[in-house]
Amino acid sequence: MLLSGLKRVGILLIGVLLATSSYAVTVQDSKGTFTIEETPQRIVVLEFSFADALASVGVKPIGIADDKDKSRVLPEVRDIIGDWQSVGTRSQPSLEVIASLKPDLIIADISRHEAVYDDLKKIAPTLILPSRRETYEDNLKAAAIIGKAVGKESEMQARLAQHETIMSDFASKLPNNALVQFAVARADDLFLHTDDSYAGGVISRLGLQMPKTERDDTASRQTSLEQLLAVNPEYLIVGHYTQPSIIEKWQSEPLWSVLQAASNEHIYSVNPNIWARCRGVMAAEHMAQDLVNIFTEQ
Amino acid sequence: MNASRFFPLGLALLLILSIANLVFGAVSLSLEQVWQGLSVGSEQHFTVYEYRLPRIFLAILVGAGLALSGALVQGVIRNPLASPDVLGVSHGAGLAAVFYMTYFAGASTDWLPEVALAGGLVAALILWWLCGAQSSAIKLAITGVALAAFWASCIDFLMLTKPLEINNALLWLTGSLWGRGWTQLQALLPWFLLVPVALGLSKYLNLLDLGDDSATSLGVSPQVLRLVSLAIAVALTAACVSICGPIGFLGLVAPHLTRKLVGGRHQALLPATMLTGACLLLAADLAARTIDPPIELPAGILTAIIGAPYFLWLLLRMK
Repeated sequence: MLLSGLKRVGILLIGVLLATSSYAVTVQDSKGTFTIEETPQRIVVLEFSFADALASVGVKPIGIADDKDKSRVLPEVRDIIGDWQSVGTRSQPSLEVIASLKPDLIIADISRHEAVYDDLKKIAPTLILPSRRETYEDNLKAAAIIGKAVGKESEMQARLAQHETIMSDFASKLPNNALVQFAVARADDLFLHTDDSYAGGVISRLGLQMPKTERDDTASRQTSLEQLLAVNPEYLIVGHYTQPSIIEKWQSEPLWSVLQAASNEHIYSVNPNIWARCRGVMAAEHMAQDLVNIFTEQ
Repeated sequence: MNASRFFPLGLALLLILSIANLVFGAVSLSLEQVWQGLSVGSEQHFTVYEYRLPRIFLAILVGAGLALSGALVQGVIRNPLASPDVLGVSHGAGLAAVFYMTYFAGASTDWLPEVALAGGLVAALILWWLCGAQSSAIKLAITGVALAAFWASCIDFLMLTKPLEINNALLWLTGSLWGRGWTQLQALLPWFLLVPVALGLSKYLNLLDLGDDSATSLGVSPQVLRLVSLAIAVALTAACVSICGPIGFLGLVAPHLTRKLVGGRHQALLPATMLTGACLLLAADLAARTIDPPIELPAGILTAIIGAPYFLWLLLRMK
């Protein structure tokens, strides 16, 4: 009687242990295996794309490395997550502010934050994934990993499936194989985002073509007017970091009128922050909507 | 101000700045919280013990190391505008670091200090190979400046051809204490065994101030002394730069300022300049962390803001 009672307690204990340990989630991140014991409640993210991934499944991070400028976060993401504490710049986030938030999960970028990975781990379990220089496909993979790590695996899979539908729907509204080039304009420089870039990936996903560039070893390439003419896209989508930018300067040059995008008036402005910095499921949908607007307005 | 008043004041300032660095930051703490933070398991343990404390030690060491190198170079080249920068060490280290960051983009940043250190030392070896052991101070300085300009232009070339990597590279090149901790401190500490050696050279450096001929007749070999002093300056600079990036103007301003305060006797000048350098970098890092929290500026920008006008003022006065 006593023995069977003990046995029952033992089984119960094992059952409880199994139940608690089954909360543990293991995923593969850029540094190997990452395990988290409980569903995180206080999450700090150090890149915009991670905030996008969390917002896609309705999770609100408490801290974002937003360069102390909340408007840099995608408006759709802001609507979902409400307010948050800024933890400084994405390039040098303030570790003491992160520590003061007492997070139970930090999501960091392997490209920017590898040097402080050990410090971050002392604050909280740290999931480190690609963000800066990631491709469109990399971003979707990272989003799936984040979804699993925050205990929203099925929601994230559903959201990603919905994303595919949305993107295909946008793609059907866009002309096939139009040559579209996205570029970022500063006061004195124009940077083309090539097929390797995030924006390039979104453009390709929508069934549009990226013009072939001579060299494709970098995702973002500084370009002169003559090089731009060699690329000669049908549509030029420009994000102006400054106004007036180099595009205004070039407009007075004779070569400019030879550009097919210029002669057909197929040059459009988009928000450079959303197109070049944000990245993510919702950012991609925003970019796709921008493109559909551009192509239906003309 | 003489040395007997400089040292107590300097040490007091160092202590005050260190405490200020522990207390102030993006999150300000009380002295009591700082004290509790030193013990494991307390609420502020990470901020105080893992973040601010090693950073203070690093600022002191790097500031002192760069300033001492500057004083040695100025003593040997006998030009108050000289600094470790004229030897091309920081630019050589910078070039190696930028090269590593652009061409080994996927590689781990853990190796960055070693790569930068090697770059700095190789740059010094190239200078030595070009000038030879018998060269005069002025030849060394001019060749060094030319080489530094060459390394700097190589850095510019790399950053222009690989614009995507600019952010990380620029951040490193401005010099910052962000994210540096006990590990980096451990790597830096052995190099400071060179400090007693440098201080031991004080007497001979004083003789060198009298001119090469006088020094020779007093039993000092200017060539050997120059080689040893410069080697120490190079090693210390390369070690400091490899950890924090080239922190501008510190090696120029700190020794010069100290020379004004305590005079040119190296027995006083060398330790005093280390104290000045440490205080300057501590102050710069404190400002960098507290000007616009939670944004962390690179400390190198702050030292440049102080250093550049000082340098201009020096130039104007020297006319």
